[in-house]
Amino acid sequence: MGSSSAMVKDEAEDSGVEKTETGPFKEGEKVLAYHGPLVYDTKIQKAEFQKNEWKYFVHYLGWSKNWDEWVGADRLMKPTEGNLEKQKKLFKSQTGDKQSKGRVPAGKQKSASERDELKNENKLSGTRGKKRKSDPVSESKVTDELDQALKISLPGTLKKQLVEDWEFITQLGKLVKLPRSPSAEEIFKKYIDCKTKRDGAVDDSLIEVLNGLRSYFDKSLPAMLLYPQERAQYASAVPAGSDVSPCSIYGAEHLLRLFVKLSELLVYTNMEHEALTQLQQKLADFVKFLQRNQSNFFLTSYA
Amino acid sequence: MGDHVQQKPRDGTTSSHRSTPAATPPSSASSPLKKGTQQVELELRLLEAFAIYRPSLLAGMHRHFILFGLMHHLERRLNQRFSPDEVLQLLDRFFNLDLLEPDDEELELVNHKEDFSLPQSILEEIKRKKISS
Repeated sequence: MGSSSAMVKDEAEDSGVEKTETGPFKEGEKVLAYHGPLVYDTKIQKAEFQKNEWKYFVHYLGWSKNWDEWVGADRLMKPTEGNLEKQKKLFKSQTGDKQSKGRVPAGKQKSASERDELKNENKLSGTRGKKRKSDPVSESKVTDELDQALKISLPGTLKKQLVEDWEFITQLGKLVKLPRSPSAEEIFKKYIDCKTKRDGAVDDSLIEVLNGLRSYFDKSLPAMLLYPQERAQYASAVPAGSDVSPCSIYGAEHLLRLFVKLSELLVYTNMEHEALTQLQQKLADFVKFLQRNQSNFFLTSYA
Repeated sequence: MGDHVQQKPRDGTTSSHRSTPAATPPSSASSPLKKGTQQVELELRLLEAFAIYRPSLLAGMHRHFILFGLMHHLERRLNQRFSPDEVLQLLDRFFNLDLLEPDDEELELVNHKEDFSLPQSILEEIKRKKISS
């Protein structure tokens, strides 16, 4: 392939830079790459010195590895604000369709590249978790727009439920007794049954939404839906390495908390404004269902 | 659905005569010469959709909402309903879905434990109600 470590060292020593230099970009770095008329997000898998120039084997993020290829530095750019703008402009000129800009709440537009920029910032600083706490402005700006578009306002009685939940656990040292009946899983099933009885059939897209909620619930419960007082209980209810799903153990109390966090999660999907409106309708209907069945689904006292 | 959809066995194996895109650029559709305008339009809309809804997210927790977004996008632009399975079949033409893995970001999110906290707005709203009742 033409690269030898001796040659690299000579080059490096001659130019007086570090021995590990691999040209303008390095392995593992996420960079923008030109391909055809557009600019793609890529990750550098390998760097090699070939025929007097640095070449980078890039992987196009989100695309099959079959597309991976060697490119020169001339086709690559760092993900700076200016370059991300370029990416956005090129995409716009290709599609010429307003809808494809992603979520478009009135007055404020966030495109895929702006979202990526936020993500890139987080990636480059390597402190995604900290960034969430220390930079509430950029995070909450994005989720605020989403919250607006989603407009999942919980009815008063469910808000009250959340506050009582908070009181029991953080103020009174109590816990929800597990496993719950009905579990979140069972609540989803009841909802589908209810819709089937009422409308005869259930929409494909509604099924996807419910599957999505289930998926979010299972993955995010330990990551963002527990009060610190509940961690020990979680550890024994869902042992590490077991395939117990939170959906089958936890119930409406925790499902409700998911709705508080939903926009933080949906941000990643970069959903278009119109799709969000549809989604909001479906979610609002589900929330009404929870409210109608509040006395059956929620605990009024904790142990 | 056209004559280019390849049925992938659900057990995850790939058939030997499944064509995978070789060194052709992602921006142009890699298909044989004869193609109706409908087919081209479909593929164009798909590629457009992929710029919004990252296909790599299909491997993780956002899968169903990504599918929801794709279904909606295609229906709106092509005036044709696609089921989730049909969308997956279309995706299969461009990606080897088996090879998709969850994003780094998802792993970070899942591993980073953040305590739940109730938004101040909700707490305050209910406290006010309690005081006034």
